[in-house]
Amino acid sequence: MPNMEFQLGLALPTPSIIKGFDLNNLGLDHPKDMGGLEARNKPARCFSDKSKRSFEQAFGNFEAECKTKTLLLLWSGQPNEEEDHNDQKKRTFSTIDDRNDAEEVDQVVGWPPIKTWRKKIFQQQQQQHRVGRIGNNRVADKENGSRSIYVKVKMEGVAITRKVDIRLYRSYQTLTNSLITLFAKYKKCADDDYTRYILTYQDKEGDWLIAGDIPWQSFIRSVQRLKIVRNWG
Amino acid sequence: MHKKTAFSFPDEVLEHVFSFIQSDKDRNSVSMVCKSWYEIERWCRRKVFVGNCYAVSPRMVIKRFPEIRSIELKGKPHFADFNLVPDGWGGYVFPWIVEMAGAVPWLEEIKLKRMVVTDESLELIAKSFKNFKALVLSSCEGFSTDGLAAIAASCKNLKELDLRDCDVDDLSGHLLSHFPDTYTSLVSLNISCLGSDEVSFSTLERLVCRCTNLRTLRLNRAVPLDKIANILRRAPQLVDFGTGTYAADLRPDSYSDLAGAFSSCKELRSLSGFWDVVPDYLPAIYPVCSKLTSLNLSYATIQSPELIKLVSHCPNLQRLLVLDYIEDSGLEVLASSCKNLQELRVFPSDPFGVEPNVSLTEQGLVAVSSGCPKLQSVLYFCRRMSNEALVTVAKNCPNFTRFRLCIIEPRTADYQTLEPLDVGFGAIVQYCKDLQRLSLSGLLTDRVFEYIGTYAKKLEMLSVAFAGDSDLGLHHVLSGCESLRKLEIRDCPFGDKALLANAAKLETMRSLWMSSCAVSFRACKLLGQKMPRLNVEVIDERGPPDSRPESCPVDKLYIYRTVAGSRFDMPPFVWTMEDDPSLQLS
Repeated sequence: MPNMEFQLGLALPTPSIIKGFDLNNLGLDHPKDMGGLEARNKPARCFSDKSKRSFEQAFGNFEAECKTKTLLLLWSGQPNEEEDHNDQKKRTFSTIDDRNDAEEVDQVVGWPPIKTWRKKIFQQQQQQHRVGRIGNNRVADKENGSRSIYVKVKMEGVAITRKVDIRLYRSYQTLTNSLITLFAKYKKCADDDYTRYILTYQDKEGDWLIAGDIPWQSFIRSVQRLKIVRNWG
Repeated sequence: MHKKTAFSFPDEVLEHVFSFIQSDKDRNSVSMVCKSWYEIERWCRRKVFVGNCYAVSPRMVIKRFPEIRSIELKGKPHFADFNLVPDGWGGYVFPWIVEMAGAVPWLEEIKLKRMVVTDESLELIAKSFKNFKALVLSSCEGFSTDGLAAIAASCKNLKELDLRDCDVDDLSGHLLSHFPDTYTSLVSLNISCLGSDEVSFSTLERLVCRCTNLRTLRLNRAVPLDKIANILRRAPQLVDFGTGTYAADLRPDSYSDLAGAFSSCKELRSLSGFWDVVPDYLPAIYPVCSKLTSLNLSYATIQSPELIKLVSHCPNLQRLLVLDYIEDSGLEVLASSCKNLQELRVFPSDPFGVEPNVSLTEQGLVAVSSGCPKLQSVLYFCRRMSNEALVTVAKNCPNFTRFRLCIIEPRTADYQTLEPLDVGFGAIVQYCKDLQRLSLSGLLTDRVFEYIGTYAKKLEMLSVAFAGDSDLGLHHVLSGCESLRKLEIRDCPFGDKALLANAAKLETMRSLWMSSCAVSFRACKLLGQKMPRLNVEVIDERGPPDSRPESCPVDKLYIYRTVAGSRFDMPPFVWTMEDDPSLQLS
């Protein structure tokens, strides 16, 4: 018999004596196989008496009132906050009794697994982005010095849309330099020497204009999004 | 008369020998040799680590180790980091402080993780421990700057005040001004999580000036860029520095000032902070880059070209935290520039967006695995993955100890073959024989768990979400993973069968978390009844579990081993399944 004194310690002894201990064997039916679980969103009836249950009963049956959290795959045609949603179907995972906090941006609680602290920073940055987008380009000049204005940048023929912080640049030149570096890899080989690109932007009124005509300071107050298009002219 | 055998040494000799044994595991082994070694060891143990604050009571710890100088406690389950544990669940440190205040007046160091700390607790610490030296609070909450002020004001020998990712009620009490003018012992200060916009810069500079042993200084976002140069010049001996906001209007004189200040810090090895980065000011850190071993750019919203330039200047980098703005191209540069890289964490810049906003894919991970032979620890958020890539990564990096992959969309299949990612993760556990920590994601069947149970013999912590088909999956893990200590599962179709069949295994682990799974209330009760050394907690905000049929699955389940019995500080939405002595096996 093991010396009980040592078992007062913080470390529990390995219970080799109860290895193979299977609580399934205590007077309950055990199923013939560990078969696959039926899709979780199949509602079925539940037996409330305490007699022996079969595997299927123990697993697949939930009483209708039983407010189980079930994962549903919803295809929602809800538009994005941004305008580009022609071909987008947003796949949303939601739970029936979803706790929809006002601050919670995510559709599933705790997913993706990002620490609360980091999410707070992210949400602060997102808010600055929204402020920039909704036409109020006077960005909240917080005491902590954050002054970003994020705008989307799309290049004709490239699938990925970028976001850049316009506030980081001092002039059209620095902006275009950075964009060239960002998008350089997407220039198709055939286009190399012969295609020129021009930078266009959408202003507060929704019109698309060629960038460079107005002073930089006016530009950054007016720009909503950028697009790099091929210049065929 | 007591006969001395050839093997008995005077206690002092044994104590001296034991003083060379620092690791907890070894200390525990030493204490199990014989009764007299147990006795000697317990009197000279100085550090205690309690991985689950409810596994043991403070009184039991102090009774056994009356002369500790350092205690480390962990409270809430890991998934609390992602809001899965409701507020008020528990993890209160106050009872521990109360016990130690009375019994261990010479306590010097308290380290807490995921615990609820109150101002009352902090004030009690400040009052009770005359030689208090180090307070490290990691992901803690429940306190304000008032409590911290008490520590600053009273602890004359304080060397370390480290607040990591804490949720602090910032009452703008000018925390730093509470350090007395005579106080000079600060070695490490981390206030990066403080939100207040009020920092008295002159107080900070004076503090930095008089604390000549300062090695670590991590500032919060409120400290503007133009104050950094002065601080650095006053502390050229810094090894670890965290900036505040790294943005300012570009002015040539302030730039050269900053660059000069960085150059004067010859010992600097670690940089962090970099909130709101303005790329123009980044080159100011180039003078120190060649010696940098650790760089945390995970709050820096700068794009790939700037990141590439920066990373190319850091050939000795061992640890990099960065946002996915770095993209595959940046990771390729990392792979070719930083051959000493051991740890990489890539965080998502737009975690809730549906479209990818950056060009970061499995290719970046493959590149780093190929170029960095010393890579051991990875945390990678991305939007697509393939079995082929995972197999390549596994073969490139057999030395992985930690591999955490998060494919942002749940149940995402291999983008090339549309198959589950079972084979890919299977390769990881097969090739990486020393793997201690693994987080899974993507489309996964029971097969991946079969691989894990078969190969992951050193695995200590496993995180699973939206995976598996049946109880067989859970059964593979519980029956196969010999070293498993922590298992956390969410949204998987695992139910009663595997859990009950492997009940004994749970006593060999620290804890098991299961939420949004298929474990019935009946099974929880049974487990609680049969296993007296486990606390089986049902967490359910819908109301009492016995108001629903027994077969209904519980919302959240947290099972942990304990020698302290049920806890008494549970909130209304937590139920502990009762022990039933009449049903115990002998």
